[in-house]
Amino acid sequence: MNTSPRKLNLDEWDDRYEQLRRDGLREAGYGGPLRRHVVREKDFRLQQLQFDNSPAALRLWNFLLTENERLHQARANGHKIVGTMKDLGTVPVMAYALPGVRAFYPDGAWWTPCLMECSDKLLQQAEAMGIDASFCPVRAMLPAFENGEHFPQPDLLVCSTGAVCDDFSAIAQRLEHLGHPIFWWEIPRRRQPAPGEMACALPGNLAAPKIQVDCVRTELQRIGKALGHLAGKTLEDDCLAAGIRAANQARRLLDSLRRTVYFAPAAPLPALEMLVAEMLAIHFCSDREETIVVLDGLLAEVQLRVRRNQFIVSAEAVRIFWVNPVADLRAMNLLEELGGRICGSDYMFTHALDLIPENLPPLEALARTALADPMVGPTSDRAMRIVRECQAGHAEAVVVSRIPGASHCAREGEIIREIVRQTIGIPAIELEIPPVCDALLPSLGSRLQALVETARDRRTK
Amino acid sequence: MICAGIDAGSRSIKAVLFDTDRSHILASGLTDQSVEQERLAAELFEKLLKKAGLERSQISGVVATGYGRNAIRFADTTITEITCHARGVHRLVPDARTIIEIGGQDSKVISLEDGGHVRDFAMNDRCAAGTGRFLEMVAARLDMNWEKLAELARQSKKPALISNMCVVFAETEIIGLLADGKPLPDVVAGVQNSIATRVSALAGRFVSPPVYFTGGVALQAGMARALEEVLACTVRVAPQPQFTGALGAALSAGPANKAGDSGL
Repeated sequence: MNTSPRKLNLDEWDDRYEQLRRDGLREAGYGGPLRRHVVREKDFRLQQLQFDNSPAALRLWNFLLTENERLHQARANGHKIVGTMKDLGTVPVMAYALPGVRAFYPDGAWWTPCLMECSDKLLQQAEAMGIDASFCPVRAMLPAFENGEHFPQPDLLVCSTGAVCDDFSAIAQRLEHLGHPIFWWEIPRRRQPAPGEMACALPGNLAAPKIQVDCVRTELQRIGKALGHLAGKTLEDDCLAAGIRAANQARRLLDSLRRTVYFAPAAPLPALEMLVAEMLAIHFCSDREETIVVLDGLLAEVQLRVRRNQFIVSAEAVRIFWVNPVADLRAMNLLEELGGRICGSDYMFTHALDLIPENLPPLEALARTALADPMVGPTSDRAMRIVRECQAGHAEAVVVSRIPGASHCAREGEIIREIVRQTIGIPAIELEIPPVCDALLPSLGSRLQALVETARDRRTK
Repeated sequence: MICAGIDAGSRSIKAVLFDTDRSHILASGLTDQSVEQERLAAELFEKLLKKAGLERSQISGVVATGYGRNAIRFADTTITEITCHARGVHRLVPDARTIIEIGGQDSKVISLEDGGHVRDFAMNDRCAAGTGRFLEMVAARLDMNWEKLAELARQSKKPALISNMCVVFAETEIIGLLADGKPLPDVVAGVQNSIATRVSALAGRFVSPPVYFTGGVALQAGMARALEEVLACTVRVAPQPQFTGALGAALSAGPANKAGDSGL
């Protein structure tokens, strides 16, 4: 069953899958050939992607692409479903602390137009609902809620507001007006403690005034009550502490995976699979226990590859730090095709990668983690973390990818590029990547190729 | 060693034959771009070979650049315009620290370090407002050529303010300005200023002098001045700016050459 690491297209994966089956591949209940997602779910974009050839990667993809199916199954089995929107990683930890509750991330519908190559018409339908292309592709979740063809209707919808993306707030408000009640909670904009003001340390080497942490803790307390009410069980501190430990188990695995892949002399796993794996941190893909199994499998695979000196992208590839997730997954393949590799990432939820403090009362720990969200603080905080991680991963260049319509901070890309340039002096470019980027591939390719050429030229300097 | 560079741009294809031993351009030429770009590039290449009295077998390497570079299959390899313009301009003017290139469909700002290495770059290719396409639109609307446009811009006393961010809407705005009796020279100068403003936004804070202006749009009189005003620094037009990309491509096909005389 062991084969050298390489990337396969969907046709090649068909053969590979048959071979693995003949060799006794053991799969999870949601397993199967990747092709079926094209046939059954119309995930046509898979036909344009290159995938890692390991069984661990196959499991990751099947886990990701069966999320809706698994959620419907959970509902049929009597589980309560909670849609957790915008907070990117905090409320799911609370939801999974309660038995019989599953959290999912409706915002994740932003990848549906990409995977289905817009054949689902979700973006057009969102426009008909008053949320047009000037908004983030997350707007795809609006018709997904309405048509019921994707995820099941949640029993509870929780959404953060305040110092979060204004696009998302507008989309979520529209969702509520369409008849989907939302449990709102507010998160303040993180600021530096004033001199003499009581302060709290946050994950990620950050700090915030205690008054802000108290505010978020109170909000999380309200959410805890709502979740407990839904589950028919009070969310006690010991349950929450156990939930935090389990979430940290996933975060530790992800941390090891990121370190192993990003710090290796050459990339043992493609950028695309790493992007999907990192996303598990924020929502567990609707199954926390299985997330741990999937990450464990990937980590074992990359550790084996590193031990065997088997890599999927050559050591010659230019080390790129990538900022923000891409709307079109094809972009991650493109980077490697043009001679780059990922050596670090900030997909906008770095607070969900940091361990939740286990030495604090659980709600206090979660409040501090939530406040460390890069989107609720100044862009300069985010940029400085990017700089530190660029240095750790020996990045030779930075790509800031923009999401069309998203407006977390209009000048965010420029600020990050400027700080990167001034502090470590490596080239940084900004790209906009729409849900299906085929028409822009020549232009995207030119920029990425120019970045790779520039970084290579600097090696000879 | 003789190398060739082909810059397949959006408006025209440029080619350069470069003698790396003598550090000298043997021939250069350009032709209008069309859908059959490989055929056009091959014809231009053959024409330059004939002009220089050379055979194809005497060419050590061919590098293609420009947006159509991947269509030039007879090239040995492709390199992006960023690298090629940087090499081409550095060869001609080794002191250049910033290069502004405005082409037919995109614009670029390239920051250079010692030795002509690219430090960083920014590209605009999602909006025609900062590109030569804007001037083409105005020329077509006014039914005049580029030279005439430049001449008109020089006569401007008070350039009009073109406020639209989009070329399509700007066209409507220009029609409105003319209908309101705004002098034609002021409207044309306003268009030049508008392009310069878009490019300056792209440049952000990484404009270090000396700044050189290259690409086909650099040939239009008045554009360098418009850039100088918005960037508040001297902007020099690179020698034969339409060929710097092709020259950089030719240089990339040969061994590293010292900066200086290129025969341009």
